[in-house]
Amino acid sequence: MADTTHLRRLYAGADFHAEQHIHPEPTSFVSRYVFSMDHKVIAKQFLWYGLAFLALGGTMAMMIRWQIAHPGTAFPVLGELLWPESGGVMPPQAYASFFTMHGTLMIFFAITPILIGAFGNLLIPLMIGARDMAFPTLNMLSFWTNVLAGTAMIVSFFVPMGAAAGGWQSYPTLSTLAGQPGAGQTLWIAGVFLTGSASIMGAVNYITTVVRLRAPGMGYFQMPLSVWGIWLTAILNALFVPVLAAGVLLLFLDRTFGSHFFLAGAAVTKGGGDPILYQHLFWIFGHPEVYILILPAWGIVSDLLSFFSRKPAFGYKATAISMSVITFLSMVVYGHHMFVVGMSPLLSQGFMTLTMLISIPSAVFFLNWLGTMWRGAIRFATPMLFSVGVVFVFGLGGLTGLHLGAISSDIYLHDSYFVVGHFHLTMAASVLLGAFAAIYFWFPKMFGKMMNETLGKWHFWLTIVPITVVFCGMLVVGYGGMQRRLYNTDAYAFLQHLHPVNVWVTRAALFLGASQFLFVVNFLSSLVAGKKASENPWEVGTLEWTVPSPPPHHNFDEIPLVVNGPHEFSHPEVKGKDWLAQNEPIRSETEPAARAAAGS
Amino acid sequence: MHNWPFSWLPPADVSQDGWRADGLFWYTTTLGAIAFTLVVLALAWSAWKYRAGPGARALYTHGTDRKSFAVTGVLAALVFVTIDMNLVRISERDIKEATYEWPTAPDTIRVEVMPQQWAWNFRYAGPDGVFNTADDVVTFNELRVPAGHPVMLNLKAKDVIHSFYLPNFRLKQDANPGTVTRSWFKALKTGDFEIACSQMCGWAHYKMKGDLIVLNDADFSRWMKEAEGDAKRRYDPGDKEQMWGWEWLQ
Amino acid sequence: MTAVAAARFPSTEESRRTSFVGMVMALASWSMMFGGLFFAYAILRLKAGTWPPDGVAPLPRLLPLANTLVLLFSSYVLHRGVRKEADARPGALLGALKATLALGSVFLVLQLAVWVPLWRSGFRIDSGIYGSIFYGLTVFHALHVLAGLAALLVLVPGARSGRLRSGAQSRVRVSAMFWHFVDAVWVVMFVAVYLL
Ligand code: HEA
Ligand code: HEA
Ligand code: CUA
Ligand SMILES: [Cu+2]
Repeated sequence: MADTTHLRRLYAGADFHAEQHIHPEPTSFVSRYVFSMDHKVIAKQFLWYGLAFLALGGTMAMMIRWQIAHPGTAFPVLGELLWPESGGVMPPQAYASFFTMHGTLMIFFAITPILIGAFGNLLIPLMIGARDMAFPTLNMLSFWTNVLAGTAMIVSFFVPMGAAAGGWQSYPTLSTLAGQPGAGQTLWIAGVFLTGSASIMGAVNYITTVVRLRAPGMGYFQMPLSVWGIWLTAILNALFVPVLAAGVLLLFLDRTFGSHFFLAGAAVTKGGGDPILYQHLFWIFGHPEVYILILPAWGIVSDLLSFFSRKPAFGYKATAISMSVITFLSMVVYGHHMFVVGMSPLLSQGFMTLTMLISIPSAVFFLNWLGTMWRGAIRFATPMLFSVGVVFVFGLGGLTGLHLGAISSDIYLHDSYFVVGHFHLTMAASVLLGAFAAIYFWFPKMFGKMMNETLGKWHFWLTIVPITVVFCGMLVVGYGGMQRRLYNTDAYAFLQHLHPVNVWVTRAALFLGASQFLFVVNFLSSLVAGKKASENPWEVGTLEWTVPSPPPHHNFDEIPLVVNGPHEFSHPEVKGKDWLAQNEPIRSETEPAARAAAGS
Repeated sequence: MHNWPFSWLPPADVSQDGWRADGLFWYTTTLGAIAFTLVVLALAWSAWKYRAGPGARALYTHGTDRKSFAVTGVLAALVFVTIDMNLVRISERDIKEATYEWPTAPDTIRVEVMPQQWAWNFRYAGPDGVFNTADDVVTFNELRVPAGHPVMLNLKAKDVIHSFYLPNFRLKQDANPGTVTRSWFKALKTGDFEIACSQMCGWAHYKMKGDLIVLNDADFSRWMKEAEGDAKRRYDPGDKEQMWGWEWLQ
Repeated sequence: MTAVAAARFPSTEESRRTSFVGMVMALASWSMMFGGLFFAYAILRLKAGTWPPDGVAPLPRLLPLANTLVLLFSSYVLHRGVRKEADARPGALLGALKATLALGSVFLVLQLAVWVPLWRSGFRIDSGIYGSIFYGLTVFHALHVLAGLAALLVLVPGARSGRLRSGAQSRVRVSAMFWHFVDAVWVVMFVAVYLL
C-alpha cells in the first residue's frame, strides 16, 4: 500500500485540474461575504443562520414547558412583553402556534442548516479533496433561498391571527381555510416550499460533488463516514422533499384558489377531497426526513469515535452499508405514522414489519460504534464526550421507536408525549448533540481558533444530564396517557397525577436551556480570543486537516492523491505518531512528492 | 395504585383488551432495557478501561476479520429475532383477536360518533335499528354504554380531524372528515370515565372532553327507554342539521 | 439554474459530465414532485368511484392530442439541433431553438383554447375534485413549459453569435434535457388526465 506509483499511473489520464482550476479570490465585500460562492463561507453563513434559529426555537421550547408546568402564570420577562393584554400569560392560540413553529423552525431552520447546510458545505469538498462544490452558484442560491424562507416564517408571527397553528405536520382540514383562516398558514406553506427548494438545490449539488469531484484515489469506501452520512442525506433530500413540495402545493391551491384536494366533511359545502391524502404525501416525505436529520450526525459520530479512540473505525464498510440500507428502508416505512387514521389493516401490518427491519442495520452500526472504542486509546476531548453522548441518547431514542413501531402499543401511544419523548431523544438529543460535537471539532478548521475545552466539558455534562431527564420524563407522562399538544392538563382528571412529573421535566428543561449559555459564551469568546489553531490540532488524517486552518480560498494547492482510508490510526509500521493522513504513504521518506502534498 | 398521587402509571384499565397495549409496552420496555443496559455497560467499560494513558496505543484493527463480522451479525440477528420478531408476532395476534376483529354478536351496541370543534356527538339507531332516522337517540358529549357488551363505533368528523381517545381502555381512533372509520371496545367495569381528543384540532383541542358512562344492563336499558321517548318528542323534520348520521358501516 | 452554475466551468469533457450528473439528479427530484401530484390524482380517483365524478362532462380529447403531438415534435426538432452532428452545420442550433420556441408557444396557445371554453362553461378549479385535478395539474405543467421556453430563449443570442453551437456545450445540453423532461411529463399527464 505504500507504493503509490500505480495510482499515479492510474490517474495520469484523468484531468482533474482542468475542471477544478483555481478561481481568483473575490475582492469586493459583497461577493466575498454576502453572495459568496466559496463553500467555506456559505458553511459559516449556514452555521450562524442555524444557531440563530436554534436559539429562537429553544426559547420557544422554554415557554412551551413553562405553560405546561405553570399554566396561568406569566413566563418571566418575555411573557409580559409578548402578551401584555393577558398579563403575560400565554393564550391557547399562541401556544398552538408556538409548538407548531417550534417544530417547524427546529427541523427546517435550525438542525437542517447546521448539519446539512453548514457541515455539508464545509466537509464535502475538504474531505474528498475538491476545490469547491460542483455548482458554486447553485450553492449560493441555496442559502439565499433559505433566507427567503426563514423570512417568510418570521414574518408570519406578525400577521393578523398570528403564525401557523395546526401542528408542524399541518394536517388538513385544520390547515385549510376551514381551520386556519389567517395568512400565517399560507406563509408557512411558502416558507416550507422555499426551504424545500433550497434543500433540493443543496442536495443536487452535494450528490454531484461527491460523485464527480473525489480526489484521485478517493474511492467511495475511502470517504470519511461523515461524507457518507451527508451524501445519503442529500439523496433522501433530493428524492423526498419534492413530495412534500407537492403536498403543500396542493394545500396552497386549496387555500388560495378554492380547489378541493383535501376538503371533505359536513362543515365544508363542497367535499369530495381527501384529507388523508395529505397525510400520505406528508409522511412519504416525513419519515425519510427524520433520517435526513440524523444520517449526518451518525456519520460524524462514527468518524469522531474513531478519531478520538485513535483506532480505525470498526467495520467501516459495514457501517457505511448499514447507513445505506437504512436510507433505502426509510423510503418504505412511512405508514407507521398512520396506524390510527383508519388505514387498511393489511397495509398497517406491512408497515409494521418493514419498520422493525430497520433495527437490524441500526444494531449493526451501533455495535460498530462500541467496537471502535473497544481496545482504543481514548482521548476524552469535548467532541468525543458529545459523540459518546449521542450513542447514549440514540440508544434510548431508537429503542423507544420499537414501542411505536408495533401496532398494539402504538394505538395507545400515538399522539401522546411518548412520541414526543421518542423524537426528541432522536432529534433534539442525538442530532443536537451530534451538531455540538461537530461544532467543537471543526470550529478550529472553520475559524482558525480553538474552542475552550474546560467550558466545553462543562457544557457537555450540564447538557447530557438534563436533556436525558427532560425527554425520558416525556416518555413517562406519555405512557401515563398524556396527549401531546395540550395547552394545559386541567381539563382532564386522568392527567392530574402526572403534573409533578411535568413540573420536573420543565425544571430540567429550563436548566438545559440555561446551560446552553456556556456554549454561546464559549463560541463567541473563542471567535475573538480563542488560541490560534494549528493545521491539525486533533492529529487526525482526513484531508481537511492536511491544509491550513482556516484553509485557503482554493482549499488545496495541489489536488491530493489519496492512498489511505480515513481512519488509519495506530498503524504498527508508523513510528513517532499514531495517525496517517489520507494522502500520506507509510514510508513517507521514499515519497517526497506525497509528503509535500500532505503538507507535512 | 394508579390513583396514588405521585404515581405516573396510566389510569386503571377497565376494558377487555386494554391489557394488550400495556402488556406489549412492558414487554418491549423490558427487552429494550436489557439491550440498552448491555450497550451502556459496554460503553462505560470501554470508556473507563481504554481511556488513553501515557504512551497508550490502540489496537490496529478494522474489525473486518471473520470473527468481528460473526459477532456483529449474530448480535444484530439476535436483537431482531428476540425483540422485533416478537413484537410483530404479538401485535399480529392482538390484531387477529381484537383490534380489527369487529364484533358481530347480537348484543353489540352500535354508536355513530361525530366529533366537531370542540365537542362530541353520539347517535344510537333507536328502536328501528336504522341510523339517521326520526327515532335515533342523539347525545352530546356523553356516551352511555352497558358493561360487558361489545360497543362498535362508526366515526366521522364534522370539520377537522379529531381522535377518539379512551385512556382507561388504551383505545385511540382518528375521526376524519369525509370518510368513516371504525373502532370497538368492551367495558368490564361500570363507572364514569373520560373521553379525550388526541389529535390537534384547533386552539381548544386541549379541552375537548367527553364523558363515557358505563352502566349495568338494567340502568342502561332504563336510560335507553327514556331517551327513545324524548327522541320522538324532540324530532323536528324541518331541522336538517339534526340528521348528521350516515348509513352504518359494519 | 444548473445551466448557470455549469457555465462557471470551462467546457471540458469533465465538466460536461459534471453538469450532466447534476441535471439528471435535478430531474429525478423534479419527477418525484410530479410523481407526488400523480399519486394524489390516483388516490382521489380511486376514492371517487365513478369518474368523472358528480356528473361532469368528460374532457375534450382532440385538442390535447394535437398538443401532445406538437410537444413531441418540438422535442424531436430540438434533439436534431443539439446532437453532436449539428456541430458541423452552422445555424442548425439557432434554427432548432427558434422552431422549438414556436412549437412551445403553440402548445400554450392550444392549452388556453382548452381551458377558456371549459372555464366559461362553468367547469372551474373550485367546481369539485375533478376541476381541481384538471386545472391543478395542467396549469402547473404549463408553468414548467414557460420555464422551459425561458431556458431556451436565453440560448438564442449565443446561438446567433455562434458562441453556442450544439449540445456539446453544457448550457445547451441541460436546457434541452429540461425541455425533453417537460414534454415527457406532458405525455404522462395527457394519458392520465384525458385518456384514462
Ligand atoms: C432523527 C429522528 C428520528 C429517528 C432516528 C427515528 C427512529 C425511529 N423511529 Fe421515529 N420519529 C421521529 C424521529 C425519528 N425517529 C419523529 C420526528 C416522529 C414524530 C413525528 C410527529 O408525529 O410529529 C417519529 C415518530 C415515530 C413513529 C410514529 C409514532 C406515532 O406517531 O404514533 C414511529 C412508529 O413506528 C417511529 C419509529 C421509529 C423507529 C422504529 C426508528 C428506528 O430507526 C430506530 C432504530 C434504532 C434502534 C432500534 C436502537 C439502536 C440499536 C441498539 C440500541 C442496538 C440494540 C442492542 C444491542 C445490539 C445489544 N417513530
Ligand atoms: C430537531 C428538532 C427539535 C429540537 C432540537 C427540539 C428541542 C426541544 N423541544 Fe421540541 N419539538 C420538535 C422538534 C424539536 N424540539 C417537534 C418537531 C415538535 C412537534 C411540534 C408539533 O407538535 O407540531 C416539538 C414539540 C415539543 C414539545 C411538545 C409540545 C406539545 O406537544 O404540546 C415540547 C414540550 O416540552 C418540546 C420541548 C423541547 C425542548 C425542551 C427542547 C430543548 O432541547 C431545547 C434546548 C435548546 C435550546 C434552549 C437552544 C439553546 C440555544 C443555542 C445553543 C443557540 C446558541 C446561539 C448562538 C451561538 C448564536 N418540543
Ligand atoms: Cu378534537 Cu383535538
Ligand atoms: Cu417514521
